[in-house]
Amino acid sequence: MLPGELCICQEKETTTSHNFLSGKIHLIEKFTTRLLLTLSLALVPQLGCLPSSPSDRPPGYLIIGLESSPTHLDPRYATDANSARIAALIFSSLTRMDERSRFKPDLAERWEMIDERTYLFHLKKGVTFHNGQPLTAADVKFTYETALDPKNQSPKRGLLNVVEAVDQLGPYTVRFRLKAPHAPFLESSMLGIVPEGSPRGRDPTENGLIGSGPFSLEKFLPGEKVVLKANTTYWEGQPSVPGLVFKIIPDAIIRVLEFKKGSVDFLQNDIEPDMLPWLKSNTNASILTRQGTIYQYIGFNLEHPILRHREVRHAIAYAIDREAIIRHLLKGLATPATGLLSPLHWAYESSVLRFSYNPEEANRLLDQAGFLDPDGEGPLPRFKLSYKTTTLDLRRRIAEALKEQLEKVGIELDVRTFEWGTFYEDIKKGRFHLYSLAWVGIADPDIYFTIFHSSSIPPHGNNRGRYRNPKIDQLLDRGRRISNLDERRGIYSRVQKMLAHDLPYIPLWWVKNVVVMKPTIRGFIPYPDGDLISLKEVSLAIPYPPS
Amino acid sequence: MMKYLLSRILLFLPAFLGAATLIFFLIHLIPGDPVEVMLGETASPADKETLRQELGLDQPLLAQYLRFLSGLASGDLGDSLSQQGRVMDLILRRLPATLELTLAAMGIALMIALPLGIVAAVKRQTWMDHTSLLFSLLGLSIPNFWLGPLLIIVFSIELGWFPVSGRGGLGHLILPSITLGTAMAAVLTRITRSSLLEVIQEDYIKTARGKGLSEWSVWLKHALRNSLLSVITIVGLQFGSLLAGAIITETIFTWPGLGRLTIHAIQTRDYPLAQGCIMLISVSYLVVNLATDLLYKFADPRITYEK
Repeated sequence: MLPGELCICQEKETTTSHNFLSGKIHLIEKFTTRLLLTLSLALVPQLGCLPSSPSDRPPGYLIIGLESSPTHLDPRYATDANSARIAALIFSSLTRMDERSRFKPDLAERWEMIDERTYLFHLKKGVTFHNGQPLTAADVKFTYETALDPKNQSPKRGLLNVVEAVDQLGPYTVRFRLKAPHAPFLESSMLGIVPEGSPRGRDPTENGLIGSGPFSLEKFLPGEKVVLKANTTYWEGQPSVPGLVFKIIPDAIIRVLEFKKGSVDFLQNDIEPDMLPWLKSNTNASILTRQGTIYQYIGFNLEHPILRHREVRHAIAYAIDREAIIRHLLKGLATPATGLLSPLHWAYESSVLRFSYNPEEANRLLDQAGFLDPDGEGPLPRFKLSYKTTTLDLRRRIAEALKEQLEKVGIELDVRTFEWGTFYEDIKKGRFHLYSLAWVGIADPDIYFTIFHSSSIPPHGNNRGRYRNPKIDQLLDRGRRISNLDERRGIYSRVQKMLAHDLPYIPLWWVKNVVVMKPTIRGFIPYPDGDLISLKEVSLAIPYPPS
Repeated sequence: MMKYLLSRILLFLPAFLGAATLIFFLIHLIPGDPVEVMLGETASPADKETLRQELGLDQPLLAQYLRFLSGLASGDLGDSLSQQGRVMDLILRRLPATLELTLAAMGIALMIALPLGIVAAVKRQTWMDHTSLLFSLLGLSIPNFWLGPLLIIVFSIELGWFPVSGRGGLGHLILPSITLGTAMAAVLTRITRSSLLEVIQEDYIKTARGKGLSEWSVWLKHALRNSLLSVITIVGLQFGSLLAGAIITETIFTWPGLGRLTIHAIQTRDYPLAQGCIMLISVSYLVVNLATDLLYKFADPRITYEK
C-alpha cells in the first residue's frame, strides 16, 4: 500500500455517501501529498538560504558565543563578567593584570607611590581614542570623577571610595590622593578610561561609546550581540582579526551546536563538562584547559548552634570526596582547592591545613564534638542541615553527591534549590545553614577583608557566614595599609593558614578555564580569570573567505 | 454589536485594574533588592539608600502602588532598572519578534491541525485516525526543550537547511515556530476532530444529506463551520499563552522576544520592566479574549450580542 492511500476494507462504518466521500478525499489526499512532498523536498532547503538580516558574519570577523548578554559596556557601569571583559577590549586602563595577578602598565607607562596616600601615574604619549582624539590626563581625571560622583550612580563608586581627589599635574601626569593608606588601591587603576565630555551618567543606548582599546564598538544590541571592529590606530599595533562578534546564546547545548555548524568560532567556559567529549569526537575543535581562579566553596552559617563547632566543620570537610566529584561530575575540569587564592596568585600560601577525603576521621570528630550517631549503622542521622544552591543542573547534581557523602557520616542534608535572586537574598540575610557559591575575578588579596572581616557582615560586605575573629581582623586591617609586597605576602600567608584552620568556608575546587575554538585560530592565551584581552593578539591561520 | 463592543471595552477597566494590582504586589513580594542589582554589592549603605529614595523604593508600598497606577493611566511604564532605556521602548523593541514567532507558530499549528483533525474525523477508527491520535499524544508529551534541539540537530546540523538560532529571515523562523506550534497543533487536532464528530450527529447534517448534498459539502461546508466555535475558543486561549512568552523556545533559539525579557526582568528584580512585560501579557489576553468572542459572530451568524 502506498503512503496516503486508504484501505477501504478497514472502515467500520460505511454508507454509500461515505464511500463516495472517502474516494474524493483519497484522490485529494494523494494529489496533495505528492505535491507537498515534491515542493518540500525542492523548496524547504531553500528557505534556509533566503536572504536573512545583514550578515551575521562580517568578512573575517571572529564569532564568540556568550551565555549571557553584557548589561553595560561603559566601564564605569560594567559590573558583570561579560560586560567587564568586553569593555576591556574597547577601553584601555591605567594598568592591567597579568596571569599571576600582578599589575603591569597599560595606558600608564609607569607609576610611583609618593607616600602611602599618594600615587602618581605617567601616561604614554601618542595614544588616541577611536575618534582620533589624543588621550591625556584630563580624560583620566574625568573618568574617575564621574565614577565617584554620587549623582551618576556608578556601581564602581564603592570600590573607588578610598580616592579623595584626582589631580591633573600635566597633560600626561595624574595624581591620586587617597583618604587613607590603602594597599589594594592599584586595583582601582584598572578602570577603563573614557574621553572627557562623554555622558556623565548612564547612556541609554551605549552605541556611541568611544575608548582607546584594541577594538572599537561598532554595534551593541543588548540580548543579541556586540560587534567590535579592530582599532587601526591601536598603540600596541592593530589586531590581526578585523573584528569580533559576541553572539548571545543562552542555552549551553545550542552554543555547542552553533560551534559544530561553524556559525560560532570560539567559546570560553560555560560549557557543560559532559559536552567536551562530544566536542572532541564530533568536531575538529582546538580545546585548551588551563588553571583558573574561579573558587567554588561551601559556606557555613557560623551562628548555627551545630556549625559553630569547629570539629563539625572539619568533619564535614573530611566527609566530602572532592576528587570523586571533580572526576565524575566535572569531568576533570577543576583542581581541588586549598583556599580562596589559586596557586597562580603571588600571595598564594601552600602550607595550609588540608582536608582529604577521610570519612573515618569525620566520624571521629563528630563523636568528639558530642554529636553521636543515635543508631550506629541505622538510618537515623546525627543531625540535619539544609543546603542551599541554585537551580542550575550541575549545581543540583553536585548537591546530590554531597548529600550522599554526608549521609555516610550520619549527617542528613536537605538540599534546597532556588532561583538566583531568591537564593542570593537568603544567603545575604543569613537564612541558610550551608550554601555553595563561587568567587570570580579575585585580584588583590584584600578580598579577604570583604569576606572575613567582622565589619563586613551584610549589608556592609560579604561576610555572609558571620565569621568573627579579632586576630584575622587585625591582620586584614594591616594588609590593606601596608604597601610593601613582601610584608603583605607574609600577612596574607598567616590569614590563609588561620582560615584553613577555622574553616568558615570549605574550599571545594578551582574551576579550570576551558577554551573551545576553531583550529585556524592562533595565538589565544587563556587568562586565569577568564579575561578575553588576548583576542587582540589572535590571528587566523587560514583567513575566512568573504561572506 | 457596537453596544456589545463598547460594554466589553468598559469591562476591560476592572479586569485591567485587577491584573495591575495583582502584578504589582506579587512582584514586590519576591525577595531581592533591585538597588543592589544596579549598584552592586560594594556600594555603601548610604549610596544604596540615596538611590532607593531617588527611585521611590523607600516609600510605603501603597504609595508606590498609586504611583504605578498613575503611570499606567498616562501610559508611562517608567525606566528599566537593569537595562538602558524606557520600559515601553524596551518592550516595543521586542514585541515584533514575539508577534512574528507567535503568528508563525499559530499558522503552522492551524496548517497541521485542521486538515489532520478533519481527516481523523472522516476516517474515524482507521489508521489515519490513530495516526492523528499518536501525533497529538507526541505533540503534547514532547517538551520544547527536547524538540527544539532535536530539530536543530536534524535540520540545521545534519541537513544544513536552516540556521541554528537567532532571528533573521524566513529561514530563521521555521524551526522555532515548529517547536512552538507543535503542542498547539496537537491540542487543536483533537479539538477539531471531536467537535466535528459531535456536530456530524446533528439533525441538520442528516437534513443536508437527505437533500442530496455531497459528503464533501456536508463535512467541509456544514459540519466544519459549526464545529469551529470550539476551535476558535482554543485558538484564542492558546494565542494568549503563546504571546505570554515562549520562554523556552526563545531561549533555545536565542529569539529576542518578550519571554526572555520578562524572565530577565524578574531575575534582576527590575520592577518597572517586569510590571510592564506582565501588564502587556495581561492586556493581550484581554484583547484576544474579545477578538475571540467577536469571531464567534462570524463563525455562527445565530450568535447575537444584542439583547
